[in-house]
Formats: sequence, C-alpha cells, structure tokens
Amino acid sequence: MIESMRDAVGMVLSELGSELGDLVVVTADVGRATRAYMFGKKYPSRYFNVGIAEQHLISFAAGLAAVGARPVVCAFSMFLMRAWEQIRNTVGRMNLNVKMVGTHAGFSDHADGSSHQSLEDIALMRTIHNISVVVPADVKDVLRSLPVIVKDVKGPVYYRVGRDYTPSITDNYDYEYELGKAYILEEGYDIAIMSAGPVLLESLIAAKELKRLGISVAVVNLINIKPIDEVLIESMARKCGRIITVEEHAIYGGIGSAVAEVVTQKYPVPMKFIGVVGYGKSAKNVKELWNYYGLNSEAIMKTSLELLKLDVNIDETN
Amino acid sequence: MYEIHQIKTLSEYVRTTVIDLHRIEKNLHMGSTLSCIEILTVLVSKYIRRSSDKLSRDWLILSKGHAAPALYVLLAEVGIIPREELVKIQSIDSILQGHPDISIPGVDMSTGSLGQGLSFAVGIATWIKFKGGYGRVYVIMGDGEQDEGQVWEAMTDAVRRGLDNLLVIIDVNDYQLDGKTSEVKPKHYMPLIWKAVGWEVFVCDGHDIISLINSIDNALSCGRPSVIFAKTVRGRGLKPIEGTELQRVE
Repeated sequence: MIESMRDAVGMVLSELGSELGDLVVVTADVGRATRAYMFGKKYPSRYFNVGIAEQHLISFAAGLAAVGARPVVCAFSMFLMRAWEQIRNTVGRMNLNVKMVGTHAGFSDHADGSSHQSLEDIALMRTIHNISVVVPADVKDVLRSLPVIVKDVKGPVYYRVGRDYTPSITDNYDYEYELGKAYILEEGYDIAIMSAGPVLLESLIAAKELKRLGISVAVVNLINIKPIDEVLIESMARKCGRIITVEEHAIYGGIGSAVAEVVTQKYPVPMKFIGVVGYGKSAKNVKELWNYYGLNSEAIMKTSLELLKLDVNIDETN
Repeated sequence: MYEIHQIKTLSEYVRTTVIDLHRIEKNLHMGSTLSCIEILTVLVSKYIRRSSDKLSRDWLILSKGHAAPALYVLLAEVGIIPREELVKIQSIDSILQGHPDISIPGVDMSTGSLGQGLSFAVGIATWIKFKGGYGRVYVIMGDGEQDEGQVWEAMTDAVRRGLDNLLVIIDVNDYQLDGKTSEVKPKHYMPLIWKAVGWEVFVCDGHDIISLINSIDNALSCGRPSVIFAKTVRGRGLKPIEGTELQRVE
C-alpha cells in the first residue's frame, strides 16, 4: 500500500528502472528518507549516493545527463535549494535533462521545524529559465505525472512532493497528465480557487461548504506551476471574475504570483493569496501547521466571502 | 599528432594571439588566461580525442572559465570554430561568450561559476565507466577555485567511484581575484589534501611542455583519479601584468 507521495515516487522510479536502461537515481544521503533507495535496491549500479553534498549532487547529475544518462535527483526540497546556483548555472543554462525531486516540501516535515520546511522552493525554481515546476496533489497525481515526466519530458523539471501526510484528493477525478495543463476538479461560476499539492484538499472542502451557502466555486488543480496553463487561467478569470490561490508555500513568488502574472496581463480580476508568511515551526502534525498558518477550509471560506463583496469584472459573453 | 616542438610553437602562437585579442577587447581575464596557455595547448593538441560518440571521446572542462580566450584560440587553430570569429570575442553578434558556453562548438560545459566543473566531470566520467566507454575527462581548475566548498564535495566523491578516467590539472598561478593566494587564503596544503583523500598527485612546471606531458602520461597510466598541480606565472608573456595581481592592461 502506497501511503505517501514519496512512497509513490520510489515505486514509480523502481518500476521505470527496468524499462529505461539509462535511468539513474542520485541522492545525497537521503536515499531512505526520499525513497530513492527503492530504486537503489533493484538497480544498485545505477544508484548513486554522493553523501551530504547537495551542490555536487546537482552538478554531478548534470554531468550524467550531458553524457547521455537520464538522472533523477532525490533530495529534501529545502536542501536542494542550497544548490540553486548550480541548478541555474549548470542544469538550467545547458537545459540538461535532470529531473529534481524535492521531498519533505511545505510543512510536511512538521516535526523538524522551520529549518526543514521548504516554503520558498516554488519561487526559487520558477524563476529559472528552462526549468519546469510540477506540484502533484496526492499519490494518484504522482502515478499520473511522474512516469510521463521521466519518460517523455525532455529538459529539467523540479518535482515537489511532501513527506508523509498525503490525503486522497484526485482519486475520483479522471484526467491524463500533460506538462503545462491545469485541471478543473470542480466547476463553478462565482469564484475560482487554484491550488496544488495536499492543501488542494482544503480548497475542495471549502468549495463544498460554500456551495451549501449557494456560492458556486470552481476548484483547479494547478499541478503544473510552470509552464502554466494560461488558457485555462484566463478562461476561469473571465468566467468567475474572482480568483483565490491556496499554497503550502510563501505568498511571495509562488502559486499566487504565478497565477497573478497571467491574470494581470490576460484578464485582470480581483485575487486573494492564501499562503504562508514566515518560516514555519515544529508541530505534532501537518494539519496543526495548516491551521496555525491559516491554510484551511475555514480561511478559504472567509476569504471567499470577503472577495464576493468586491465588485468584479465578469465577461458576460464568455 | 603534434611533435613536442610543434606544441611549443603552437603555444607561443596561442599566447601571441590572445595578447593581440586583448588589444581589441580590454575585458579579457588576461592574467588567468596567460597562465594556462601551455596546459590547454598540450591537452587540445596532444590528448583530447574527438568523436561524435559521447562515450568514446574525451571531454575538456574549463572549470576556470575566465580563461576562455585561450580555449577559443585553440578551437580556431584546430578548425572547430572559424578563425574570423576570434576578433568578435564578446560582441553581441559573436558566438564567443565571455565564459565558455555549450552553444560554442568544441565547448563541453558552460562554466563561469567556479567550483562546478569537477562535479560535472565526475558525473561524465562515472557514466562513461559504467557504460564501458574509453573516453576520458580532463578538468582545468584554478588555484583560487580550490576555495569553493563544492570542490571538496566532488573530490571526495571521485575517489570512491574509482574514476581512473578523470584527470584534473590545477593552474597554480598563486593569485586569486583579490590578490596573492597566500594572503587571501593559503593553498600550500592543497596537494596534501588531495593526496589524503586518495588522489594520485603530481606536480609540474605548467609552462614547460615536456614537464606537462610527462606528468599527464604518468597520471593517465596510474589507474586512479589524478590531479596535477601545474606551477605557472600569472599573466605570463604580457610584461605589464606578468606575475602580478593585474588581470588586464588598462
């Protein structure tokens, strides 16, 4: 039974290993924690553990990619960011086929506290030209997207997953993953909520509650933060006239900013960002942190009601 | 294959050409370029085997990317880039960037940010070895570059992977950007560190063709990852800056 996204990552990679002879997995002394070792157990000669050395990890993987291997890097999201400049100058600038899986993202490493809680990674990765940013919501999303990314997507991708807490979110939705697409999970006409990762669950709960109040809320799974689905975002802006973004990430430069970059240029409508201000802290579980930082259905509902008081610009012809 | 006297002549030509380019373009890192002329010339003219097969050709990583002009002159000399391109170095319409870029034919890694070339080379050498290829990976680093923490990360990893197809040459010109290495951050212990980690360490005169060839031949046959500390003079051959911290003639 796969219980977390990191388990799903390990399983997908170890399944792809037999089909893809050039697939190699590289980690930095976090083989167990990231589940990279699931691949390593089956293909020890194609599994490289470089020790606690994230900068080397990235440039080493870049070298592997340059000479024809298909490297997948597995490390804690936070400590991959230590190699931002290597990712920018070596992987990004040469547009090398390096897939970077950052685990323990957001608040998922609830116990370890702020040093381990990666809340800036989407912003940092998204600014680098050539690099795609993908944030799956749950196990099903990993099973949909990771095989496509490893097998068919050429070029560097940052793939963000959590540690353990992985509620089922997309099991009952039917879509095939494609890089650059966003997916409407629930249709609605008053507000569009756009989110990615496990907090998408809170958006769906809020949408259901708001529906009982007679408010029609669309929920979009923004699994691809970059390239982003501009067409879908613009159509939601036209249809709903109000957008809320929800992210387990800083409100600076993350999902809210990515959506706003599209909305302001294509069809400006009022927006609210729900995300984190701060560095995080230790807690007994992820939900405690979501509540502490206001990433829950109650906050989304409250924000929705505030937003509804605003006059909005709806395209009636759409 | 070039004879020793031809390599010497070629290196003198490369030095003269680089100095000529400096008359056209002031913003070249002349001090750092002129110290590694012989190192680059020997590698390009005698050792680097070119092929379209990534596993059976050799790779040249100029990790101290600011010495790019010397590499460009050599690439023109062996016919990989057009000679006419040289005078356009660093122009907006030129392929020749201030630091090596893989968009330039014959360049194997985009460098310019110090400390990343060795890691990249370890990745290449690892895959070549895994696939049973016979390509080798040559890396040219600066002595100042040894300050970068990533060099430690990479040198320790290379040894445990047993990369006998990896050769590093360190251009020991005794200067880094802010002055003498002995004053900014001493480097005299670096050969001891590389040796302690498990590298085969050689020392040579980085301006002497025969000394370089002897060290490289010994390194290539020792069956371990090897590093050559090549003692050089910064700005060699350009009298106003030779042996000083000056990077260019203003």
